[in-house]
Amino acid sequence: MLGLLGCSDDDSIDKDEEKPTISIAYDEGFPKACEVLKRGETYTFRARVTDNMALAAYSLDIHHNFDHHTHDDQEETCELGPVKEASDPWTLMENYTIEEGGTSYEIQLELTVPEDVDTGDYHCQYSVIDATGWQSRTAIDIKVVE
Amino acid sequence: MTRMSCAGLVLYLFCLLSFLPAVGQETFTVKGLVIDADTRAPLAGASIVGKEFYAVSASDGEFTLTRVPGGNREFEVSYLGYASERVVLHVDSDITRVTIVLKSSGTELRGVEVYGKSHERRARENPVGIIEVSREFMEANRENSLMQTLSRIPGVTTINIGSGQSKPVIRGLGFNRVSVVQNGIKHEAQQWGSDHGLEIDQYDVERVRVVKGPASLLYGSDALAGVVDIPAPAMPGPHSFSGSVNLLGETNNNLLGISAGVTGRKEKWYYRGRLTFRDYADYKVPADRINFEGYIFELHKRHLRNTAGEEANASFSVGYTSDNITSETFFSNVYAKNGFFANAHGLEVRSSEIDYDRSARDTDLPFHQVNHFKITNNTTITIDDHTLDIDLGFQNNWREEHSEPVPHGHMPKPDDSREREFRKQTYTLNAGDTYVLGTHTLAGGINLELQENSIGGWGFLIPAYTRFTAGIFAYDQFEVRPGLHLQAGLRYDYGMMKTRSYYDWFPTEVNHPDGTSSSEYLQRAVAETLHFDNISASAGISYLSGKTTYKINLGKSFRIPLANELASDGVNYHMYRFEKGRADLDPESSYQLDVDVSHEGEGFHFGISPFVNWFDNYIYLNPTSSYYETLQVYEYTQSEVFRIGGEVSAGTTLFGRLHIDLSGEYVHSRQRSGPKKGFTLPFSPPLSGLLSVRYGSGDFLFFRQPVFTADYKVAATQDEIVPPEESTRGYEVLNLSWQTDMDLFRDYPPVGLRLKVSNVLDTRYYNHTSFYRLIAVPEAGRNLSLSLTIPIP
Repeated sequence: MLGLLGCSDDDSIDKDEEKPTISIAYDEGFPKACEVLKRGETYTFRARVTDNMALAAYSLDIHHNFDHHTHDDQEETCELGPVKEASDPWTLMENYTIEEGGTSYEIQLELTVPEDVDTGDYHCQYSVIDATGWQSRTAIDIKVVE
Repeated sequence: MTRMSCAGLVLYLFCLLSFLPAVGQETFTVKGLVIDADTRAPLAGASIVGKEFYAVSASDGEFTLTRVPGGNREFEVSYLGYASERVVLHVDSDITRVTIVLKSSGTELRGVEVYGKSHERRARENPVGIIEVSREFMEANRENSLMQTLSRIPGVTTINIGSGQSKPVIRGLGFNRVSVVQNGIKHEAQQWGSDHGLEIDQYDVERVRVVKGPASLLYGSDALAGVVDIPAPAMPGPHSFSGSVNLLGETNNNLLGISAGVTGRKEKWYYRGRLTFRDYADYKVPADRINFEGYIFELHKRHLRNTAGEEANASFSVGYTSDNITSETFFSNVYAKNGFFANAHGLEVRSSEIDYDRSARDTDLPFHQVNHFKITNNTTITIDDHTLDIDLGFQNNWREEHSEPVPHGHMPKPDDSREREFRKQTYTLNAGDTYVLGTHTLAGGINLELQENSIGGWGFLIPAYTRFTAGIFAYDQFEVRPGLHLQAGLRYDYGMMKTRSYYDWFPTEVNHPDGTSSSEYLQRAVAETLHFDNISASAGISYLSGKTTYKINLGKSFRIPLANELASDGVNYHMYRFEKGRADLDPESSYQLDVDVSHEGEGFHFGISPFVNWFDNYIYLNPTSSYYETLQVYEYTQSEVFRIGGEVSAGTTLFGRLHIDLSGEYVHSRQRSGPKKGFTLPFSPPLSGLLSVRYGSGDFLFFRQPVFTADYKVAATQDEIVPPEESTRGYEVLNLSWQTDMDLFRDYPPVGLRLKVSNVLDTRYYNHTSFYRLIAVPEAGRNLSLSLTIPIP
């Protein structure tokens, strides 16, 4: 009965109703859950993003989780170190546009863990936005050690 | 705003009961009961006046006339606001029970002055769609919050925040696109916020007038989709006292509530008072875990952790009435503390050392506290054919949001938990005159409002601001002939908004184009003074043909942009977004055509109310495809929006006892320009229907007028979404209730009982317009509630 009352959708232009996807679940995806990073070392952060229509931009956020304020969305649960105060934590907030748009892209970011940052638990979060404004995120618990 | 005085009356006299043998020739005693014809509820304070005798019905509706001389005696029975009627009773013995049934029915009162007409009649004559919600409706459908109670009305839905709070939505529009008015004064709080509800004690609400449609003409800015107008309760009758205590218990969130109210009147002075207290624990959902974007939150005993809360309200009023002046001053204070779901605050997933599961009753971080203090005065002066209405109001609204301090981006860890504080003082003056000139009812008036808004806490969302609005309106309701009314009106509004500047309390590393960087306290809001003006109008026709009413109305309504829409420039971590306002936004304006056809027959009613609506500049928070640092930028934009929809309802009474009602509502919205062209609007309610079956089984044992109700609600899948929403599957949910009066003690008025089982089948379903829908939290599970209303004799 409810179906009969509904209006038919005559004016729907080609509407994008799909979010982009983001994944580190492939061999080169980095970092993986509970990954341990060494200070001073350089790593290539890699994630695969796709969209049904057009990708627009992505971001990477790394911040400390010394207070255990959050956790990741990966299947594995990482052992967290004891709660502590931050003195000089590693904070990284970068965003990039995907100029070519497209429906598939691999994020590749060369990053060096600074020498002088606090060691401990960190949280690494990728985000991707498509041309319509849909966003997807994924978060990974990592550790920084000496 | 004009307040309608009470109703007309038709009086039926049933002289049913036993006649005792005469005990003397001179005088007799007549005992009786005054009740309402529709609800059979006793009417307190009705006066029964004869030549040499006089009585006032007590709180149980009973009265006693002593020393009534034998013979045919004439009585005048009057109840405040109803036209008086004369009744003749043949008295030749003591009469123990005369039942006087007062019926409020305007349709048979042709030619009565406008202000003598019943609410129903007035609502029918008004071309704007108005639904009068009675006290009986409120009592029979009472839910955990006022708006949940009203959401049974087709076209009215809510945005629920947990179990104890809700915001009004009319035909898919909410927040500042619906006005809430109490005692003639626009209720001013932080309506724009998505995570808290309306701060009104629903036990203070005796009746509600829901306006569906553009209503800026009378209600000013914000009345785009409609108005929830809560008039002052009816004035008590002379020399009366009544009161009641309501007790409420619920199993789902282990709620305990008590509300006690009294009202009384001497000859000209009257008063009311009420205290309400409610305390509830975390509510339960039919799920063991919540799956949200890859995160899994295990629930302890299916409790949505940290959603407990409490509410404490007090109100008092004193009034004076005489032949041509009535004035009542209300004082009220509403306080609430509510916890937010601990695992995700907004979209932000949080871990905590707090042991939330040690008790389901306590409220830990994150939580908010709100307080709303209000003083209002309503004065009505009648001079000849003029009725002057003056409403004065002062409101002090305070809201504080607390969460565990964590560093975010460049912000270091704050020292305390006070994340946001909003204070708003609102001063209101409304003055209007209604003048009856033959077949014309002319009305005009002004509305003035001044707001002072200040902010506090470490999380910035909106700047402090001052807002002043002034409106002037006039309209004419013309009775072309009985049953055919034209109404047209015009209004002009001016608005001024002055925002204060705001700088971050922490420095941010800023990289300059020349390769250098510096540490700066970023400015988030600039000091600006903005001016707005707007002309709104409304015109319509109503035609009453027997029991059928036809209405058509065209209206233009508007809304002045909010401070957050004009001046936001900061991070909303709970929503994981950077919100950017625009100072060049125009006032939102909306044009709407409404048609309403309703038929109230004997044992059958039918109604249909379609509408078409066009916004030329709907203000919409658009998710862009760019970032600020690592957060998505959402920017306020304006776009054309087209909406169409309506409600249908039908009902019938079978065998005199079985009532079957069916209603449905639908709204379709499209953005016709801008970055989200082709998309709907956020929080679009799905197509839904309600089948309601009521059965009055008749009195038995000590139960009087028991009514059994089964409500079956069906909602279709909502695929009409706009980023960042998810589509929501359809659902069906069953609620049962049983309501009765109980004659428990001799000579004691009946005690009201209501037993209700909500979500009988413990169905797991999602409400597209609930705040927690965003993080995939289903609606509350099965709930058994027991409510007792005990009269104070």
